[in-house]
Amino acid sequence: MLKKRAMTVLTAALALSVAAGCSGANSNSNSAGSADSAGGTSGAGKKEKVELSLWLTPQWKGVMDATEDGADYDSFFLYAADKFKKQYDKYDVKVNVQVVAGDQRDELLNVNLNGGTPPDMFFESVFAMGDYVHRGALAPLTDIVDDAARKDIAQGYWDNVTFGKDVYFYPFAHNPGTLAYNADMFRAAGLDSLVGGENEIKTWTLNEYNRILETLKTKLPKDKYPNAYPMALYALNNQGDTWNLAYLRMFGNKFFDDKNNLAVDDADGIKAAEWLKKVYDSGYSNPGAESVSSNDANAMFQNQQLGISFTNAVLYNNAKADMKAGKSPSFDMRLANIPSASGKPLAFTYVVGTALFNTGDKARMEASKDFIKFFSTDPELVKASKNSIPVRSSVASEFASQFPLFTAYDANAANMFSFTGNVAGYSELRQVLYPELQAMYTGEKTPAQAIKDYQSKGNAVLQKARESSVIKP
Amino acid sequence: MRQEKAKKRESFDIASNTVVLLFALLNLFPLYWLFSSSVKNSSDVIKMPPDWWPRTFTWSNYADVFTNQPALRWTLNSLYVAGLSTALLIVTSSMAAYAFSKLRFKGRSVFFIVFISSLMIPKEVMIVPLFRISQDLGLVNSVYGMIWPNVATAFGVFLLKGFFDTAPDALREAARIDGAGEVRTFLQIMLPIVKPGIGALFILNFVQVWNDYLWQLVIGQNKESKTLMVGIATLMQDLNPNFAYKMAGATVAAIPMLLIFILFQRYFTRGISIGAVKE
Repeated sequence: MLKKRAMTVLTAALALSVAAGCSGANSNSNSAGSADSAGGTSGAGKKEKVELSLWLTPQWKGVMDATEDGADYDSFFLYAADKFKKQYDKYDVKVNVQVVAGDQRDELLNVNLNGGTPPDMFFESVFAMGDYVHRGALAPLTDIVDDAARKDIAQGYWDNVTFGKDVYFYPFAHNPGTLAYNADMFRAAGLDSLVGGENEIKTWTLNEYNRILETLKTKLPKDKYPNAYPMALYALNNQGDTWNLAYLRMFGNKFFDDKNNLAVDDADGIKAAEWLKKVYDSGYSNPGAESVSSNDANAMFQNQQLGISFTNAVLYNNAKADMKAGKSPSFDMRLANIPSASGKPLAFTYVVGTALFNTGDKARMEASKDFIKFFSTDPELVKASKNSIPVRSSVASEFASQFPLFTAYDANAANMFSFTGNVAGYSELRQVLYPELQAMYTGEKTPAQAIKDYQSKGNAVLQKARESSVIKP
Repeated sequence: MRQEKAKKRESFDIASNTVVLLFALLNLFPLYWLFSSSVKNSSDVIKMPPDWWPRTFTWSNYADVFTNQPALRWTLNSLYVAGLSTALLIVTSSMAAYAFSKLRFKGRSVFFIVFISSLMIPKEVMIVPLFRISQDLGLVNSVYGMIWPNVATAFGVFLLKGFFDTAPDALREAARIDGAGEVRTFLQIMLPIVKPGIGALFILNFVQVWNDYLWQLVIGQNKESKTLMVGIATLMQDLNPNFAYKMAGATVAAIPMLLIFILFQRYFTRGISIGAVKE
């Protein structure tokens, strides 16, 4: 009887959904934009109608702030599109904004590129989109970069978005990667002298760092911090691999040679791998690094099971907000650089900007360029970059008093290295590192062997990608 | 001697049932963990040692899923796509299977082999050409773009043909002698016999379409046209570090499937077992 009733309810729900589906907003509008070159006119003036599509992965919510009513990931671009439309006189432009999840990006882009309908613009971290430049899918933006922008945005960021001789992403904000540490744990272990300031990105020497690991391992009170480990190590997949790449540079290895080949298999690279293995074997890190993901490590850190972990500006802010909202245990979380043997810390950043797809439609590409330039230079709109870290010095200094870490991040820019080297095949190269690290942590390979194999397999990937790249050195 | 044997069998039964029970619990544990985590606070989800039973129950994660996202729309889209695709698939598959099983025509076996060999082509290979066709037909960002490619599959024909094969030809012949036409014979005589097969096909195809992530991802590109699986996957990428919120999203995606299984499991098991035995 009960089953019969349940069946009736389910059938009714199905019928209801069919009705809802029939009447729903299942518009047939294509993802890609369109230019009404047949002379479509709008009521307001006789401008050619141009429909553009902009895709983005989740960055920040709201136009300027996540606390705004109805704040969502597309709010900023919807606002910017509206403002652009009101002052744009070349075309009657409409911008369709679509948020895609990070792990859906490549599937969606590849199908749409093959189908001939890529989006007009994509707002994303440069490192995730570099391969599309080498494939010839993106168009250069060099002609819309003016002197004022060049002056306001530091050269390091321009280097990050330049492939060959051209700029392919208009930089908007950046998301610097550092270490995060639990200052309360440090104090509990008697490491007070090595705790940095609240708004400082602390730089330790490698000797100091090794001392921290050893002290956290031996002196951390077990009653207060049961099951806690000094630092995070993970190699389950390619997520968060930039920190692993940074560790491999700790002893001075340059990573890429002048011909854009991997050059990690030298004395410095092997020394770095041996250091990682020693940290792991000595119990200075969480166990099972080969099966721990960066997300796991982040959760362990938030749960006070790790003294030092990886972070970036967004993760750091999220973790602080979680503590404030009582969603995670509250502790004194601070920032530090990745140390190196030379004493000069290692820092990197994810530059976020807009790319223009080569759609072949003159009107759409022209309007897209104008829109990119508009929201990347408009004095009001560029302020939204405060949601991560502004690339523009003018914005960073304007908000310096409100966000004291902006100054620290700005000062840290001098320590930055380009972790992708903007090489062709970087995305595929990421699939090569973590299996070698896994083999090293499980003892299947020695650090030297893991590095050797990473280099040979990685260079095969790079060679293949280079041959098909449209960017020639 | 006999008593000893019975005792041995009894202890073997107890041991094997215990093992089966343990495996059942092991399989149920992820579901339990999903549901229990969805009603916890985010910090409790990642707590070590974990709370095996939620200390505080909160339904706010579910409220957030439905207020922050068009999750109801996604659910209706999923039900519509899976429901209509499956209904249409049953219509096309049953007719084709009946023809391959009961009608005699030239080249029947060759046609059937060619038809069935399409099962060997993975759907991923067809994504790009299928996407282009959908674009040309204006089906991108439409639920119908998710439905039409699923209304005729070789698998459905293959499955139902097996059931039609078990139905005696004498029944069809008797119906014809009694004056029933082909359509009437098919609808009133043969179709009721293969009902368990239709039930099995319904549940298998419903689940398959419900979980057809890749195709629904590329077709439903705007927020309103997403299905539940794609929408929830998007939720997982949200920078929101609230794990319980994501667990609530995953639970919402899992519940309809569980209901379908619970309600139709009788047809499912009967269908599979009948199809397995050829008389």
